[in-house]
Parts: sequence; structure tokens; C-alpha cells
Amino acid sequence: MGLEQYKGDMEMCCRCSTCKFIPMQRVSGHDFVNVCPSISRFNFHSYSGGGRLNIGAAMLRDGFQYTDRLLDIVYNCQMCGACGVSCNYAMDMEVLEPIQEFRIRCVADGKTHPALDKAIAGLRAHGSMVPPTGKRGDWAIGLGLKDATREKVDVLYHAGCLTSYDPSLQKLARATAKILQKAGVNFGIAGDAEICCGGRAYQMGYQEDFLRQARENMALIKQAGIKTVVTACAEGYQAFKVLYDKFKLRGDLEVLHISEFVDRLIQEGRLKPRKKVGLSVTYHDPCRLGRLGEPWVHWEGKKVPGDRFVFDPPKTYRRGTHGVYDPPRNVLKSLPGVTLTEMTRIKEYAWCCGAGGGVSESNPEFAQWTARERIREAESTGAEALVTACSWCEKAFDEAIRETGSALKVYDIVELVEAAIS
Amino acid sequence: MALSKDVYRAFEDVVGAEYICDDPVIMPSYHQTEFAAVLLPQNTAEVQAIIRLCNKFSLPFRPVCTGWTGKFAKGSLYLDLRRMNRIIEINEKNMYAVVEPYVISAQLQAELMKGGLHLNVKGAGSNCSAMLRGHGHLDQTTSGDDRNHLAIEWVTPAGEIVRSGSLGSSDEWFCGDGPGPSLRSILTSAVPPGVTPGVFTKAAMKVYHWPGPAKFPIQGVSPNYSLSEIPPNFMARYYSFPSVAKMFEAENKIGESEIAFELMGFNVAMVAANITTSNEEEEETFRRLSREVQGPGFFVIVAGNSAADFAYKRRVLEHIVAEAGGKSLASLEDPRLEGILLCQCIRISASIRETFRPGGMFSSIPVMGQRDLTIQWAIGAGKAKEPLIAKGLIVDDGGAFFGWGVEQGHLGKTEIFCKFDPQNPEAKAAVEAWHKEQSTRAFKERYFALLAGQDEEIGRGLSNYHIWWNEIQKELDPNRVSPEGGALV
Amino acid sequence: MTQEPKSPAMGTLAGMETGADALNAYSKDISFVNSVRPACVTRPKDAKDVQQIVKFANETKTPLVPVSSGAPHFRGDTVPSVGGAMIVDLSAMKKILLVDRKRRVAMCEPGVTFAELIPEVEKAGLRLNMPLLPRKSKSVTGSMLEREPVLMPKYHWDISDPLACAGLFFGTGDEFRTGQAAGPGTIAEQWAVGGVQKAPYGPGTASWHRMIQGAQGTMGIVTWTSMRCEILPSLEEPYVVGSLQLAPLLELAHWLVRLRMVNECFLLNGANLAAIFARRWPEDYVKRKAALPPWVLFYTVAGYEYFPEERVRSQVQDITEITQRLGIEAQRAAGGVSAREILRTVQRPSEEPYWKLRAKGACQDIFYLTNLEKIEGQIETFLHLGEKAGCAASDIGVYVQPIVQGTSYHCEFNLFYDAENRRESDRVREISALGTKALIAEGGFFSRPYGENARMMVNRDAASVAVLNKFKKIFDPNHVMNPGKVCF
Ligand code: SF4
Ligand code: SF4
Repeated sequence: MGLEQYKGDMEMCCRCSTCKFIPMQRVSGHDFVNVCPSISRFNFHSYSGGGRLNIGAAMLRDGFQYTDRLLDIVYNCQMCGACGVSCNYAMDMEVLEPIQEFRIRCVADGKTHPALDKAIAGLRAHGSMVPPTGKRGDWAIGLGLKDATREKVDVLYHAGCLTSYDPSLQKLARATAKILQKAGVNFGIAGDAEICCGGRAYQMGYQEDFLRQARENMALIKQAGIKTVVTACAEGYQAFKVLYDKFKLRGDLEVLHISEFVDRLIQEGRLKPRKKVGLSVTYHDPCRLGRLGEPWVHWEGKKVPGDRFVFDPPKTYRRGTHGVYDPPRNVLKSLPGVTLTEMTRIKEYAWCCGAGGGVSESNPEFAQWTARERIREAESTGAEALVTACSWCEKAFDEAIRETGSALKVYDIVELVEAAIS
Repeated sequence: MALSKDVYRAFEDVVGAEYICDDPVIMPSYHQTEFAAVLLPQNTAEVQAIIRLCNKFSLPFRPVCTGWTGKFAKGSLYLDLRRMNRIIEINEKNMYAVVEPYVISAQLQAELMKGGLHLNVKGAGSNCSAMLRGHGHLDQTTSGDDRNHLAIEWVTPAGEIVRSGSLGSSDEWFCGDGPGPSLRSILTSAVPPGVTPGVFTKAAMKVYHWPGPAKFPIQGVSPNYSLSEIPPNFMARYYSFPSVAKMFEAENKIGESEIAFELMGFNVAMVAANITTSNEEEEETFRRLSREVQGPGFFVIVAGNSAADFAYKRRVLEHIVAEAGGKSLASLEDPRLEGILLCQCIRISASIRETFRPGGMFSSIPVMGQRDLTIQWAIGAGKAKEPLIAKGLIVDDGGAFFGWGVEQGHLGKTEIFCKFDPQNPEAKAAVEAWHKEQSTRAFKERYFALLAGQDEEIGRGLSNYHIWWNEIQKELDPNRVSPEGGALV
Repeated sequence: MTQEPKSPAMGTLAGMETGADALNAYSKDISFVNSVRPACVTRPKDAKDVQQIVKFANETKTPLVPVSSGAPHFRGDTVPSVGGAMIVDLSAMKKILLVDRKRRVAMCEPGVTFAELIPEVEKAGLRLNMPLLPRKSKSVTGSMLEREPVLMPKYHWDISDPLACAGLFFGTGDEFRTGQAAGPGTIAEQWAVGGVQKAPYGPGTASWHRMIQGAQGTMGIVTWTSMRCEILPSLEEPYVVGSLQLAPLLELAHWLVRLRMVNECFLLNGANLAAIFARRWPEDYVKRKAALPPWVLFYTVAGYEYFPEERVRSQVQDITEITQRLGIEAQRAAGGVSAREILRTVQRPSEEPYWKLRAKGACQDIFYLTNLEKIEGQIETFLHLGEKAGCAASDIGVYVQPIVQGTSYHCEFNLFYDAENRRESDRVREISALGTKALIAEGGFFSRPYGENARMMVNRDAASVAVLNKFKKIFDPNHVMNPGKVCF
């Protein structure tokens, strides 16, 4: 199957270029109208969502021809899914799925990117997408957290590779743990036994590596009898919730992003943010929490012969409608002294932080360019701080700010919640 | 096909290595054409330099903006204008905006609305260039065709920069005509699709008063956008009539009374396409709405400059509709659907849901000019669709055609589509045959001439215009580097 | 492009005249262009006659000067620039070919004047978008081909309006029909299926009518034109707003046009209003001028078929809000001139004698296009320049006409003078030249270059002129069509 299953979708592309822009109704001026980092940075149509489909359709028809330019196109895409949302406002067709399959095909054909190969080699060696800086569970030293592999817990907090290992981001894991402690949640971590969710490997096109990580993670979860997983990074969230489900590995495991969980805890009165934070913020929707965090929809069917591109049974497209948009905003609004001003590109049509799709590894310059564009947009709101809900985003923004010297502060939502409850 | 190293280098020196590509791998994304190269010029000077090189090396070029479908000669240069995307000026007092080619209508409209202005958004959609020639939903009050251009900055096919009208004489954009005869006679639409040879690098477009809010109050998540409230002094309705004659009578009176902000004569198939978010929902909605209407109809937006103005316009509208035996489509009076249609028709200009979503392709016969005359023809063309619908070759839209009055009914636009699956050869052939038959009939029966390329017989029937046009092209483009045809937008 | 024509003999050309009186009548006009006597005058009766004349001219290389309006002429465009020219006087082509209420269109030959066409369209319930008080003998076709500004900016969607289509012979002698009229079918065949000649664009990519408009007969000779007509209102309420300053009136005009609330809408200064309404000269003129405010904006609010009173009421209410904001007041009369009288007057051609000639027998018009921001400064400059040259600012007529729905403004100075008085006419000539130069320097755009200052106007834009010359080469390869005009 692979790419072939999306032949019809790719042929449906009418080359309207809508996938380059945020949905037309949301265009509120000349600026901040672009939604696809790739076409915005590289300009040739082939870097847009539609252009990728055009190439995919042509290659299915005429055979695959790999050139340096083709690989440049393939690996300079954050797999952020914004193209699909804009397209699917009007069109019934898959956009990101064929782009994903094209990558998988490239990897299967051995047409990989050296930087991504390196990252995957690390994954295979250490079970992590970032080089280990110590032991995976070191961040939790002194917090007195339960080991979910040995103790019975209701909730497993999956910290994720970057948060676990990056010394400047470990604070996010600690903040998350403190929040859960404060709310009296019976949770644990897997500590040194935790391994990568595999999500980034999948975006990079390494499907087998992803599946291995997924199976191992699910085995651990099953063994520990865990019913709920909480992640505080969007990558992990999407992997556990959406991708594991796509490959029918998730079972009935409940997957929550910390923002959803906190929102629930606040509503239930189990968490009471009382301390004034005093900050004007704007919120960045991580792609994989927002539009790509929307649940997987299982579907199998055939095109109905005839005039329309319709299927039996009817196909429900994932158009970004059901992503996680409100919980983080609810949480921010409940923090005393926090005022939220929205950017132009938000929710389902948010601009990517630049780190997705392995771009932070394969083309750091492009990743940073993308992050800088978001910083510019955040600055235009007049907010003091840019708040996100994913450590990969925070890292990307931190770097961009270091480079540009912007006065904007960057926080993860858990940092603000921690401040409000301590 | 490929450019020689030296030639490539010459172009590369103009735009920079990052903005030229001749790798065949990108060409499928450029209309399946084997272009010699794709270039991304940044400004007028670069466009001029490129065109001069094209003349030097005898290389044809095509300028394109967002770029829908198009037919191009193999081996030509594709000038992708996406880097030329600045709004140069919005002049509120003199009611015009100056844009570069890749400013899309949605962008310009959003900027204009902040200052109480708007523009004619072409039917190709607000995702297309704001400087297009053409028609759209808002023609009733914002004119159409080539009539919205003022001064234009134009790089001729010979590589000269010409600034028409007041721009050339006074460095101002307010007028595109003179001194003496108007260059707008040929500067009708160069970018895109580049039917005027050369490249438009900037154009001043007329803008109009916008009586609505600075920003539409959109709520919801794509594709379920709606308005949180209908803006004050706005109303959208769909009316159906007992017959085409009655419908046109009402349409004409509405134009003459100057009360409609927009009037779109589409049937419920197109209404269904606009208000639904999937093919299945569209089909179901079409069937349901078909049962609700009494016959052909139109969609109207009334927008008042004040409460009194709105009340007056609304009263007249209701009066005219009643006189013609029209009936409001009750289910569209639901404010949610009303809001969706307002947005679709003003901000999106509808297009993609109506055209490409069902089968991936549509074939159209668009007619500009006299509305009552073209309606007469379109009734027959719609009937001729019925056997294709019965065979399941094209999407069932009830044999619809559509159209509207332009400039409050002074002029008009009528169009008819067949929507089909281009991967189905039988459907493709049937649609092509329908297209040929109906356009031939239009010509033979003296309704209009559909001009596609340089048809001898049609040219002879139309004052030999094709020979004159050829002469003009020869004069402007002695090396023939700027061929006709091209992308839709 | 057509078959080689057989050369008609000169004597067989329609209405041929070579008598001195006839020739003298066309050898000069009220403008300052050099007097050049034509070699002969022809008076075609129909399109066939015209075609013969053009063929003859091509074969004999005879310069043709098309004239459609009756005398007096003002702009030098109908005076030959070269010797040996043949005048083609189209004023005998007087057929009104079509008036169609439903499609809001009329069609006539070039000899039809406003005075002749207005009653015909009115009978059908239609009206023309007129220029300001044309002389009685002014050709409707001539006015449209000259892109004269019209009084109702709201219906002036495009600067080419109200021209719809035209039938013509290019300088080559080839027949051509512009816009919808091009075909398919002959005009009669088009009528037979219910077609009219209304849509201006095409055929094909070009908008050919724009090529002959503003060309002063240098591209070809028009044998008929059609035009969009507007509906005759059932109720009209005219108003005047007087002001010492121009600025608030311009601001008001902008909003009236932008909101499309008014039909006729234009500004005149006291000198021009007085010139239009003065009965006895010079006393009445002087008295009226003194009584009138320096600037007057005139506009009409109208109602049509449905609830006209309600429409007028709602618009007057909306306008009042604007005038209050601007601190000005709309009234029914100003300085003894009633708005109703203005309305009645401007909906017809000028009474004889022509209003511009009443004061002193001659008038020089300097007109150009500009934008809202620049008008005031330019007017000041011109009036100052006039004063310096010895012409009192209060004697210079000024007319400001918003055009193309408020995207630009026609600004016109009318210098009334006595042509017999050498000093006076020299002064006017000097003001005209210096004024044109000064206005150009201040961004005025002379889109219709007439008279002896035409070169100054076209020389600003060599690139456009180069393209126009390419067209000229195609449509008039033998350079027989009104040589020496515009930039040819
Ligand atoms: S992918 Fe969708 S939005 Fe993009 S060009 Fe194709 S049809 Fe249009
Ligand atoms: S996934 Fe994101 S970066 Fe990739 S083509 Fe789509 S919008 Fe562009």
C-alpha cells in the first residue's frame, strides 16, 4: 500500500495554492498569511503541500527519480500538517498522509538524510532522540516520584527524550511532576526505563524504528497495568494518542497532554492556581498537540465508481477540527495575573516552531528561520512572553531568541502553572 | 530542453542561485510541463533583466502567480512571481490600492476592510492574485472584467518598463488612461495568466466602500467557520422563483434599484457546495434544498451604509421578490448558514468547494456581457448536461448554470460548469464533447463567441480581431518570447 | 486586411466641398493652435461614404481630419496640423439607431448631438451621463471619444464610460466593431436574437474601444457608438453646499461618491456658476459672482421605482450626518442660484450662446486629472499664476468633477476672454502655457492632450508614447488619420 493508497488523493490536487496560506477567512491582513514554512522559505512550488502531492503523483506514474533537489524537498518539511488543514477547508483529500508516505518510501529506498540517519542511530543505540547526558531518570532525583514499572500508579508521566536529557529543559519535567504532586495524582515515571515514544522517528520517515518504539512502550505500559499516560511534550502526546492508535497499538490506553490534565484538575477543584503570575502572554499551539493531536479515525473503504471522489463507507477526514486548542487556553486564563493575547496564526492554522519532521536535525538553519518567524509574530502581539506546551518548541524558540536578541520570554505552560500553585 | 550552462548562469546572475531551478524533479509541480527553468524574480528590475535575456536567447517565458491549471509550451521559462508580494499603497481618499502580482485578494481585502474599503474578489478565489482581470461574487457593486485596473507598471515583452496613464506622466496611480489613447486597451491582464504579453509588475486597482466591520467575527475551527453574529445592516438570503423569466425580472429590478451588495444567481447545488464541508454532506444537502425551492433562484446580500439605508434596501428587496413570485429559502434564514454564506461569498469567493471538491475537475463556459442574452443560451446548455448527469458522468447539479448582474445589472456574467472525475476517460470525453457543442452553438446562433486560442472562423466572425491582435503582438514582442495562453490565474 | 480597394475618384466622395467659406470654417477654432486651411471638406452620410473616404485618403496619402460636433470648436483637434487635409465632417450622420430601456443602452451615429439624443432616451425612461453643459451642437459620440468627464461619478465605473461599443474604420480602411458589437453576426443579426451592443471589452484580450478613445481621430473614424444609459429617476432632490474653503467640499464629495448616495455631483467656483446663470452681461454676472460663495458643491439625491421618498429621506439623513461632522450645510440655494435651477440646467446642453462664450466671446479651457490631495494646491498655484499675469483670480472659472467613482478628479480652469483684444488673448495664451507647465510640475496629469501645449503633456511619458506609436503604425500605416495630433 504505502504511497499507492493515496494516488487518488494526490491526483485530486487542483493546484489552488491554498495550502500555502492560512484559511482565507482567517487572513486578517497582509502579514502572517503564510502557513507552510517550507514554501515560505524555499519558494518553489514543489516545497508546498500541493507541490509535494504533484510530485508524488508523477512519481507513481512515471517511476521514482531521486535527485539531490528531490531529497532537499523531502527533508525540508516539518511535517506540520498545516497544508492539510488549509486544503481540507474545501477539499476532500488527504494531504499530510501522502507526504508522510513519500518520506517513508525515501527511507525504504535508502534515500535518507545523514543527519537523520545519525539521529536514528542514536535512537537505536540509546532509545533516545537526543544524545543522553546522563541517566534518563536523573531529572527526577530528589522529587520522590514513584517508579511506575514497579509501583502501582494510576497515571504514567512520560517525560520524553528532550525533557529528560536537556539540562536546560529538565525543569519542565520537574514542574510537571510538581503539578501532579500538588494535585494529589497517583502517578509515576518510568525513569531510566523510559524510552523514546518513536514519534519523531516516524516523522523522519523511519517507520520501522517508530513501530519498534511503540511496541516496546505499549509492552511496558501493559505490564505496569497503566490506564493513563500523561505527556508534557506534544511529540509524545501525538505518538501515544494518535500514531499508536493509527497502527492499532494503543488499545484503550487514555492519553492526556498535561494541559488537558491540568485543565481537568482545575475544573475538578483539585488544583487551585492562586499565586499571581503577572504576565502578558501569547500562546503557541504546538502542531502535534493542536491540529495533529486530533484523534486518529480508522477507516477502510473503496472509492465509489462515478463522478465524485467519495467512498464506501464514507470517509471522515481529519481536518484539524478536533485538535487540543482550548485546554491550554483554559489553563492560561485560570492563572491569576496572566493575560492572553492571541497571535494571528493560531490553533488549527498555527505556524510551526520549526523543529518538526526532523528539520531541527537535517537543516537547523531552516528550523531556526521558522522559529524566528514565530517570534516575530509573537512580538507583534505586544506580549511579554511566548508560552508553548512542548519542550521541542521551547528549545526552538529559545535558540531563535538567543540569535535575534529578542526581549521576548519563552515559557512552557507547566512553568506558569507551577508558579501559580507554589 | 535544459538551458546551457552559460544561459543558466546569465539568469542565475539576475535572480541569485537560490531563485532559479531547472531540476526536472520540480516540474510536475509546475503544471506537468517540462520548463527549461523556474525563476523567482523579486522586483521589476529583475523581471526586466530576465525578459531582456529571454529576448537575447530567444527563450519564451510565462509569468504566473498562485498558478492554477495551465497549458505551457515545453522548454519555456516559468516566472513564478511569488516573491513579488507587497502592497505598495492603499489610498483611501482616492479609492485605489497598488499591489504587486502575488498579493492575494484575501490579504488585500483584509487590509482594506480595516479602513472601510474592499475590492472585487475574482471568482477564481481570494487565494488568487488581487490584480487579476475577471469577475466574481461582488460584481454587482464592484464591477469586473478589465474595468478595475487603473495605472499599471508593465515590463513589455521586449523588456521595456512602461508605466501607464498618470503613473508615466505624474508618478501617481490614479489613472491608467492617456495621454491620448489608453494603454489599457491592451493592458487588460498580463499577470497572470499573461494574456497581455509581458509582465505586470504593479497595478493599481479600484477599491470600493465597505459598509461592514473591520474584521468579520469568525468563530469555530476549520472547516466549520461561522460568524458569531451577522454584522449590523447586513442580510443574506436565497430566493427561488417560479421560472427563469421571473428570476431574471427580479434580478434586473434589484440591479436597477441599486439595493444589492452582492447578487449571485446560482442554484441550490452551488449553495449546497458552499455551506457544506464534505462531498457527502453536499449531496445530501443539495437533495434536501432541491425539495425546498420552487425553481431557479439567486443569493443576495444586502448591506446598508446605515440602519435607514439598510431598512430601505431590505424593503425594496422584499417588494421586488414578492412581485416576481419569489420565495425565500427558509433553511438559509438560519443565522448560522446565513453567516457561512456571507463569509464564503465575500471572503472566499466560494470557488474551490464549488468546483474542484466533487470530482477533482470542472469544465466551464464563462460568458461575459449581456445577462439576458446569455441566460437564453445557458438554459439550452444546462439541458444538454442532463444526459451526462443521467449516465453518472458528471456531478448532478440539476443542470445548473449561474451568473449575475455586473455594475448593478448594466453588464453581466453567465457561466456553466460540468464537474467530473478527470481520471475517468469516458467522462472526460463526454464533457469535452458537451463543451464543444455548446460553444459552437453559441457562436452559430449569435449569442457569443467563446475564445480559446486563435480560432480562424471565430476571428473572422469578430471583426478579424485575431489578425489585429497578432499584429499588436508582433510589434510588442518582435522575438515572440511572450506566448499567449497560460495558467488560469 | 481587406481586399485591395478600388480607388474612388475624389469628386465622387460624399458632400465634397472646396469653396473658400467651407474651408475657412475649419481652418481655425477658439484655441491657440495655428490656423491651417484644409484642402477640402467631405460630409459622409453613412458608413459606406466613410469607408470610401478612408480608402481614398490611403491611396492618395491625403490627411483626414474627422469632425463630428458642430462649431464652435475649442481644442484645436479639428483644425488640421498639416496642409492638404480633408475634413471629414460627420455631422450629417444623424441616425439614432437604438434606444433600449431594458438593457439601458442607446446607439447613434456621430452626428447626433446631445440636444437630439436626450429627448429620445427620455421617452424610453432613460438618461445620459452628460458632460457639464455641452454646447448644443456637441456630438454625443465626440464627447465620449474624448473621454469627457461626466456629471454622475457614481455611474462612472470606468473612465471609458459611458461609451459601450463603437463601429469604425481604422486608418487602414478596415471595418471594426468593438466590444460585444464585434460579433458573432451583424448588428441586425445580433438584434434578432435579443443582443444589444453594450459590453465594452473585447473581442479577445484587448479592449479596443480604449484605443480609439482619446485618440482625437488619429486611429480611425467612428461611424456609430453605443452608450450605457441610466434610468430616469422618479424623484430628484438637488442640493448645494457653499463654502469659503474647498477642502470640506472635497471631503464631502468624496463621501457622497464613495457611498454612492448621489447622482450629479460636482464643484464649481463662483465665477463659473455666475457665468452659467448670468442673464445680462456684465452687470448680472458681476452681481451674481459677488453674491455666490467662492465654492459650491452641487449634488442630487434621487429615488427610482420603489418608495422613492423613503430612499431620498434615508440618504438625506445619512448625508446630514456627514455635513454636520464637516461643519457645512446643504441648502436649496446659494447666492441666489437655486439647486433646482442648477439641476434643470445641467441636464440639458447649454442654451445659446454657449455659456463659456457669453462673458467675452471666447474661452480657453485648461483641464487635467488629479487626486484629492493635490487639487487645492494646484488650484492655488494656477490662480496665483493667473493673478501674476494680470487675470484676477475671481475671473477664472474653476470646475472640479469627481470621476471614475471617486478615484480621480477632473480639474478645469476656464479663462474667459475677448479674442479680438490682443492683449487679453496673449495673456490667456501665456497663462495657459505657464499654467499647464506649473500644473504638470505639481502632479497634474493631462490625459487629454489638446492644443498648442499638447507636446508638453505627452513628452512626460516617452515609454507610453513609444507603445502608442506601435499601435499607430498598425492602424494607420500611411499616417493619414489626423496627423500631428496627440503624439503622432
Ligand atoms: S494540496 Fe490542496 S490546497 Fe494545496 S494545491 Fe492541492 S488542492 Fe490546493
Ligand atoms: S507539512 Fe508543513 S512544512 Fe510540510 S508542506 Fe505541509 S505545511 Fe509545509
